[in-house]
Amino acid sequence: MGTRKRVLLAKMGLDCHDTGIVTVAQMMRENGYEVIYMGLHNYADAVVNTAIAEDVDLIGVSFLSGQHETQTRELLDAMRQAELNVPVMCGGIIPPDDAQELKRMGVADVIEPGTLTEDLVSRIGSILS
Amino acid sequence: MADTAHTPAWKTKEEQVFETGAGLDIKELYTPEDIVGLDYDRDLGAPGEYPFTRGPYPGMYRERIWTRRFQVGFGTPQETSERIGYLAETGANGFVITIDLPTSYGFDSDDPIARGEVGVTGVAISTLEDMETLYSNTSPDSVSYALSIRPPVSAVTLAMLSCVAEKRGIPLDRVVGTQQNDPFYQMSGGPLQTHVQFFPLEGILRLCVDNIEHISTKMPRLNWMVTNGYNLRETGVNAVQDGAFSLSHAFDIFRMCVDRGLDVNVFARRASFFLSCSIDFFEEIAKYRAMRRLYAKTMQERFAATNPECWRMRFSVQSAGNTLTTQQPQVNIIRAAMECLAAVFGGAQSVHLSSYDEGLGLPTEESSRINLRTQQVIAYETGVTKTVDPLGGSYYVEDLTNRLESAIADKIAEVEEHGGLANCVRTGWLEREINEARYKNQRDIDSNRRPLIGVNRYRIPPEDEIPIKIHKIKASEWGERRADYLRRYRAERDQTAWADAMARIDRAWKEGANMVPVLMDALKNRVTMGECHEAMRQAQGFSFRKGGR
Repeated sequence: MGTRKRVLLAKMGLDCHDTGIVTVAQMMRENGYEVIYMGLHNYADAVVNTAIAEDVDLIGVSFLSGQHETQTRELLDAMRQAELNVPVMCGGIIPPDDAQELKRMGVADVIEPGTLTEDLVSRIGSILS
Repeated sequence: MADTAHTPAWKTKEEQVFETGAGLDIKELYTPEDIVGLDYDRDLGAPGEYPFTRGPYPGMYRERIWTRRFQVGFGTPQETSERIGYLAETGANGFVITIDLPTSYGFDSDDPIARGEVGVTGVAISTLEDMETLYSNTSPDSVSYALSIRPPVSAVTLAMLSCVAEKRGIPLDRVVGTQQNDPFYQMSGGPLQTHVQFFPLEGILRLCVDNIEHISTKMPRLNWMVTNGYNLRETGVNAVQDGAFSLSHAFDIFRMCVDRGLDVNVFARRASFFLSCSIDFFEEIAKYRAMRRLYAKTMQERFAATNPECWRMRFSVQSAGNTLTTQQPQVNIIRAAMECLAAVFGGAQSVHLSSYDEGLGLPTEESSRINLRTQQVIAYETGVTKTVDPLGGSYYVEDLTNRLESAIADKIAEVEEHGGLANCVRTGWLEREINEARYKNQRDIDSNRRPLIGVNRYRIPPEDEIPIKIHKIKASEWGERRADYLRRYRAERDQTAWADAMARIDRAWKEGANMVPVLMDALKNRVTMGECHEAMRQAQGFSFRKGGR
């Protein structure tokens, strides 16, 4: 039994490429997660406020246009200020060196394009366990 | 072990699925019986003649090799202009100029919303002076730029281009290039939200038609791109949806132009398409041929265009970024080459290949050069350019062209039933179609139904990957430099003249005037890109800002 895990997904900044995140949202729903997708053009404060209000277990943000470092740093800072302590996962077109940097900053995992659903679900499962 | 009762039918022969990417059946053999009803003059015709199935021009690549476009645009206008000057000497004869995200939404580089995004995905353009700088090594009457942009912003950049020509003493009717002007698909075909978050939809459509009016009456050599089918296709829709949504979108815009009172025989003359070439080789070739035939018929029959130039569908192509993989990126060079070849067999006027590093970052100088070289090998070494439409008359290609044409026509009819493409965007119908296609793609890759080398078969461990160069982003450095520049630009202007020009934007908007000349006047009075948009938003009583951004 147990309640379903709640996941908050959001695009941040001006980037509007949403194929990846919309697909991930659907695949996660089909695999038993409750997904709250905030849509495009969100900024750190809104993501944090929603995460708190919805009491989520994980935050996932996606980037395709090179703003992953700026936006993720702002998100992590806002989470620290709000004392929100849930894992953050990034996805999208993120160069390997930058992915390492994001992990150093505290991101739990960086999901690259071409990740099969089975793999995605097991990686999220291990973040949440 | 083998449980044949549960082996899916598509797995029985070499794990192949005998259907196209869009799900059309493929037979083992095509014979004359498959094209029994084909009438050469009616259905194919000579290249350059109605219905243009075999190509938009008589001699095609024998007369002129397609334009090999080179994507450029990063950081500041100065850096981009220097790079264009250099590239023009290495064999690129056309440029796709990408702009950064703040510019593509009409924000100045120093707007708080632009933080971390200035110069990242392309060049930042905020002032008339920026556009002049972009042309500092080239001239608007000789080198063709295609600026990746959409309304409302394309109205401001078109006004900038017109001003640059005017200042250099170049008559507007001699300006070349392509003005992208797709109100819906430019932002990666994304949801309604991305179009209307920062500008009202009706205002976007009005500026789209303002641009077409300005171009068709004053700039007859400037192409205007009616549909960015490339970005639409990148969302994951199939070839039939791609063809249908690209064409029905164009027809919807044409209807709006006719409603404005514009003459179809004039405005449709330089209309062009920007399309994706995906990996399903023959389906893509058939898609282009089918689209050309459908376009010709529709323009003649429905729009009653009598100018043959208005029946001719011309398009540029970008090879599909979404067919490329992050894993084993070098393999992407082969994918892009195959897509380039399909675009050439399909009769493209201009080609731009996606870079092999697409799944890892923005293109580097090295990956961009390989794109150009791939095209040059196909153009100059393989001999495929030496006769027109070499696949014409193939039983398979002609049958597939027929079937794609009818599938696309059916889908267009479905869009029409939903009130036309603009209405399908408004109601969310298009977004639902896109999302279903996305989920299907992922399921097909997950289940191995659609083979993807390096992803669902023939994988290698990450440590065996051959490292490649990655584009470096200098977002904060560019942001600071641009903020300094804009501070000076605003300080050095005549504030009264600026305020008067802002007031003229407000008045012209409310009067329903064509905004392009009004924006030209504003730019000359040093109104910035962001201020032009703010004035137009205010004239519509529209505001989106909250929480300090």
